[in-house]
Amino acid sequence: MQKQELIEKNPIRHLKGESDAKESSRMGLVMARAGMGKTALLVQIAMDSLLNDKQVVHVSVGQSLDKTKLWYDDLFQDISKACKLEKAGEIHEAIKRNRMIITFNESSFSRAKLEERLHDLVQQHVITPSCMVVDGFDFAKTDRSVLEEMRELATKMNLQIWFSAVCSEGIDNQHTNEVPAPCNGVGDLFNTVVLLQSVAKSECLDLKILKGSAAVSKCGKLLKLDPQTFMIREDCK
Amino acid sequence: MRDITKVRNIGISAHIDSGKTTLTERILFYTQRIHAIHEVRGKDGVGAKMDSMELERERGITICSAATYCDWQDHAINIIDTPGHVDFTIEVERALRVLDGAVLILCSVGGVQSQSITVNRQMTRYRVPRVAFINKCDRTGANPDRVIKQLRDKLGLNAVPIQIPMGLEVDMQGLIDLVRMKAIYFDGENGDKIREEEIPAQYQEECDLKREEMLDAVSMFSDELMEAVLEGTPTEEMIMAAIRKGTLALELTPVMMGTAYKNKGVQLLLDAVISYLPCPTDVDNFALDLDHDEAEVKVSNISSDPLLALAFKLEDGRYGQLTYVRTYQGTLKKGDSIVNVRTGKKAKVGRLVRMHSDDMEEIDEAGSGDIVALFGIDCASGDTFTSGTDYNFSMTSMHVPAPVISLSITPVDNKAQDNMSKALNRFTKEDPTFKTFVDPETMETIISGMGELHLDVYVERMKREYKAEVTVGAPQVAYRETITQRAEFNYTHKKQTGGSGQFGRVAGYIEPIEEGEYEFVDKIVGGSVPREYIPSCDKGFQKCLDKGALIGAHVTGVRCAINDGASHAVDSSDIAFQLAAMGGFKEAYAKAKPMIMEPIMKVAAEGPSEFQGSIMGSLNQRRGIIIGTNEEDAYTVIEAEVPLSEMFGYSTDLRSLTQGKAEFTMEFATYRQVPKSVAEELIAKAQKNKK
Repeated sequence: MQKQELIEKNPIRHLKGESDAKESSRMGLVMARAGMGKTALLVQIAMDSLLNDKQVVHVSVGQSLDKTKLWYDDLFQDISKACKLEKAGEIHEAIKRNRMIITFNESSFSRAKLEERLHDLVQQHVITPSCMVVDGFDFAKTDRSVLEEMRELATKMNLQIWFSAVCSEGIDNQHTNEVPAPCNGVGDLFNTVVLLQSVAKSECLDLKILKGSAAVSKCGKLLKLDPQTFMIREDCK
Repeated sequence: MRDITKVRNIGISAHIDSGKTTLTERILFYTQRIHAIHEVRGKDGVGAKMDSMELERERGITICSAATYCDWQDHAINIIDTPGHVDFTIEVERALRVLDGAVLILCSVGGVQSQSITVNRQMTRYRVPRVAFINKCDRTGANPDRVIKQLRDKLGLNAVPIQIPMGLEVDMQGLIDLVRMKAIYFDGENGDKIREEEIPAQYQEECDLKREEMLDAVSMFSDELMEAVLEGTPTEEMIMAAIRKGTLALELTPVMMGTAYKNKGVQLLLDAVISYLPCPTDVDNFALDLDHDEAEVKVSNISSDPLLALAFKLEDGRYGQLTYVRTYQGTLKKGDSIVNVRTGKKAKVGRLVRMHSDDMEEIDEAGSGDIVALFGIDCASGDTFTSGTDYNFSMTSMHVPAPVISLSITPVDNKAQDNMSKALNRFTKEDPTFKTFVDPETMETIISGMGELHLDVYVERMKREYKAEVTVGAPQVAYRETITQRAEFNYTHKKQTGGSGQFGRVAGYIEPIEEGEYEFVDKIVGGSVPREYIPSCDKGFQKCLDKGALIGAHVTGVRCAINDGASHAVDSSDIAFQLAAMGGFKEAYAKAKPMIMEPIMKVAAEGPSEFQGSIMGSLNQRRGIIIGTNEEDAYTVIEAEVPLSEMFGYSTDLRSLTQGKAEFTMEFATYRQVPKSVAEELIAKAQKNKK
């Protein structure tokens, strides 16, 4: 398989933001119950930029550097094995070069600090990201104003930002398209909100689009993902 | 034979200047191995380091010797020296293999420093249970609570204090033991008289609170204790058993405190070593089965089983080489014959001794789990001994990473020349990653190893221990060459004019291989190359590997195959086919798109967060790929992969960049292709040198 095919099967390609916000500075949110694979999906989103030779900053709150690195290595390995990717070694090197992981422990994370780090990175010519994924951000303890500031940051730096959030058990039975807690109060700040769900007796994971829409209309508001590679699966009913 | 459950093999690890020497000194004093306390710190309080070295020198090898033995409350404690430099992975690995448990010493003022972080990481990797001792509680600014918090945050340990200090700084009077709920004072000139009293009223409240916290944390490890706590009747034994259980499982780190210098708390630490750290049978040790691709095999720890012992340290003594060994199973007996797994040689156990601080005791046998020293055994450190050849196990991996950096050294005079060769002989035995050879072209002695610092230390040791002054050349990175595609060759070597002729023709191909350095494949059918000359071709190819055509670096990752050829009834010879193979290799090499590979180091730089930007910039400038950063409070660790050739002199740069507040460690990670521009530079330089 070629690199191009990988890019086309990336779920982020199939997600369009609501309203006419620029793709390059949108804010996205991935929600799921604990253990569904939020981090993996964020990594897959980051992969999209990485495979397009764009640079990515991965912010991880509460997880160690080594662990975060492993997410990428494992997912890449799964993908390259599942898709029999050509020139995997070369692509992996390029990914490494374009990726930068910043980890914080819970107590030392703040928006101001993150912004300072980002400016450092750009100033020192280490990396100029076009995408940032934030994993482990605690929505329950965050004020709306912090997210508003993040939005400003996204616009200012021309950066798309994706967050992950844990929602409580029992969410799978919800049929409305409302953004569930703890993000119900800030849903309007995001251009795209998706919910990752597992469906009984199905080989695929469901990616329900709560906000924004799918690029290809036939999919409706639901995308099917491969649980191992987190790429779009078309064969799954 | 001794009861194995009454043996403790422990290491003491500490950041520089947190009081390791003083503490060891006190331990030896209280265990009555030495009879007077000598101060490390002089009266003026300066030059502590110098003093400690003088002290060590005066006493010979006691304090820093590889293993010191002492008795405490009917238990035998072997204290094993842990290397200070974490960069030397093999040495660290070996020391950690031998330990069953460790005491982590921290300064109550300095807290968790970078060295502690690295050592702690290594210990976690090798699953070494540890207890922490917060030393120097008498110093101004002492704050054990802060250190405990750092233990939790920075080292990720479940640190639980089992003592609280009575007073801090100059007012420190003693300690309160939260397990037994007693106040403990250390009387007498040397603090050797322990006085137990009731807890003074002003500490009662704090004690109750801290004890409750401690019980909460500890009862996680014992249901029995949990019930007893709920009923309000926990006993000392229960608490201690639970602490031990948690510690052995590496899920709890009991924290003790005191001040070794002022003779407070050391005896309690020794008690804790016995109560909470594992004996040899409590830990699982693994041997590698060499017959089955180094599969892990658990050692039995039973003294009656076949012997398995590891030589972990060599020392030059008055009576020849002294080899420190640890037995993992079986018994080492005087007069037995043992086999060195690496060399396959048999040896006879002559003298077997137990090392004390200032003398040694002759013993007849050593059971499983013990640490003893052997005389007159020729081996290198890291070698495994077994009782017979039917048992092909090794305690350490046989795979030794290839050196990545080399230096030329030249002795300043004749005397230094002699000493230098003695020193080199010893170092290569001690450390498998340290190699030395004489360059046939320049006739210089070259030493090579795993990093700049690694070699620096050996040069320094040569000066100090062997009085061999040498001048050191500029460090050279061990580049490699490899090919990226398959290429064919068909080469005829012919010299048939005058004298005895030479003739040989070989054809075949070379191609890259993923793993391994070199492979030779013989695909000759029909005898176009006579059988006897096929090894000659192999030899010829191998000769080419030493010096690649690009920059004269070692060539790796090549498969050479021959599938056709021709010979001459009279003129073909071994040398003719070697030359033909060499010619063929050269022909194909140029077509196989050769490239240069360089060693890449994994670098971890840590310093205050405000310097994060500039540290990253500096790594970036050095062609580094920054993997990421980790931010904890005001401290940041930056991880990057940087080519070794760019790391020379980095420590100076880093220091000036960060006002001396940042440090870094690095270890070899992998080989990677050098960028084009750099490759061109290297090739141009190699060609210039040729001329």
